[in-house]
Amino acid sequence: MLGRAFGTYDVVVIGGGPAGMAAALGARDAGSERVLILDREPEVGGILQQCIHAGFGLHYFDQELTGPEYAERFFTRVVDQDVDVQVDSYVSGVAVDSSGEKRVRVMSAEHGLVTVPTRSVVLAMGCRERTRGQIRIPGTRPAGVLTAGLAQKMVNMLGVLPGKRVAILGSGDIGLIMARRLTLEGCEVVGVFELMPHSNGLTRNVVQCLDDFGIPLHLSTTVTRIHGSDRVNAITVAPVDAQLTPDHSQARDVACDTLLLSIGLIPENELSQSLGIHIDEVNTGGPWVSSTLETSMPGMFACGNVLHVHDLADFVTREALLAGQFAAEHAAGVRRPKDDIQLVPGDNVRYCMPHSLSTEREHTIYLRCKEPMRPAWLSVGGDLLTKRLQFVVPAEMIMLKIKPDVLERFHGDTLRIDLHAEKGGAA
Amino acid sequence: MSGAQETKELVCVGCPVGCPLQLTHEGTKLVEVHGHECNRGAKYAKQEFKDPRRGLATTVIIEGARWARLPVKVSNPVPKGRVLEAARLIHAIVAKAPVSVGDVLLTGLFGEENLEVVATRSMERV
Repeated sequence: MLGRAFGTYDVVVIGGGPAGMAAALGARDAGSERVLILDREPEVGGILQQCIHAGFGLHYFDQELTGPEYAERFFTRVVDQDVDVQVDSYVSGVAVDSSGEKRVRVMSAEHGLVTVPTRSVVLAMGCRERTRGQIRIPGTRPAGVLTAGLAQKMVNMLGVLPGKRVAILGSGDIGLIMARRLTLEGCEVVGVFELMPHSNGLTRNVVQCLDDFGIPLHLSTTVTRIHGSDRVNAITVAPVDAQLTPDHSQARDVACDTLLLSIGLIPENELSQSLGIHIDEVNTGGPWVSSTLETSMPGMFACGNVLHVHDLADFVTREALLAGQFAAEHAAGVRRPKDDIQLVPGDNVRYCMPHSLSTEREHTIYLRCKEPMRPAWLSVGGDLLTKRLQFVVPAEMIMLKIKPDVLERFHGDTLRIDLHAEKGGAA
Repeated sequence: MSGAQETKELVCVGCPVGCPLQLTHEGTKLVEVHGHECNRGAKYAKQEFKDPRRGLATTVIIEGARWARLPVKVSNPVPKGRVLEAARLIHAIVAKAPVSVGDVLLTGLFGEENLEVVATRSMERV
């Protein structure tokens, strides 16, 4: 397929997961003729291929699909829409010349080292899992300590069980889903341990993945030591206080041969950083983007988990379709006026997305809270726009539409978003 | 107010809100449901009280494909108490590539006509 690539592409999408496929389709819809998806894996679909459980597509297709089904629907469209797809292809860099033309450097299993010229680039590399090293669990370094997503790939695609008696640290959705998955495969899941006083996963996952199988969830508890020489043979767990400090006097050992870590995801931005793209280190860990999902480098767009970690693939799709559309616009030479409103997170808001807004159109913004609240009052720009939300939890992204008439008043200013327990109240 | 009334607590899984539901029942008769913020909660409570069921997705061995496992699902929810048993039955299936998404690998699980085991992705022969 890269035979055709020696011309110029309108849009090159880096990563062929849910974000990349939707971005490519968004670009085609918006009129780009030549669109290419590059993926380092042997097939597109990204992490969806290993997420064999149902729960995808409720928003986008109004139907409950499994991850592979969701991926295949998009892949079929990608093929129908004549999007070029090159797998086993690793992007090592993007060069930008003075006219803004980009050349994507690709190491391809099929074609060797190739340079692909393009007008726009969409970054859709997704995210990766935090590991033991990032939370520095003391103890030995035996086999049997792995991330939940890796275990998911082993079980669901490679047909290999990571162990027999499994403990899970972290109650994010992947951890909860793996607790059920391993139980179905005949493993014994001895417990899920969560540092925070609340689960980091969706309530329905706690109910269906743990409660249904009698798997205990230990809140405000963490793993303080890993034991075993060649293989894990036990972990020490201890309750934590309000400052999240373990109380070692109440520590106990739990026998297990495997410890799965489901302790968070990090946008994968080594490529973005090497290009000099501005990263929001404090709030999202992903690129800074304008309301057109354009990064600090003109013509380079970002969407999906590389931008901020989403909890639903459907939201990734929606965001990526937009990124693809704006990438196509850029490729066609359309230049919108610059955003003139900075969007900033306030009380109990961990981040909001995008980083800036314009007054020319309605915007959909996404935000995530720091602490659960029930109910919560969302306020935009002080008391300019307030909305009551039934509940907010960190595991669930909040979506909000803002109309241009609200934004008019904030020309050249910052617009702050807060979540309060009471209307007009403080945090 | 009958003396035979008992209560049961559930968490609705109909959507991400996760409403805490209180069910009042007399033996096997559901009297009323409280705590739901929408109709899905009431519907879920009724179904869950009468015949609790769960969706089931797992994998089967596949031969001649890029990957060692093929993802599958059961076309309709299976009885909650028989999820592990269903998984064991499904795990005995060996599929052969090529497979197309939607291919039926087993019909009539537990003798229930509408319980089919269906491939959830296509896999080429390699």
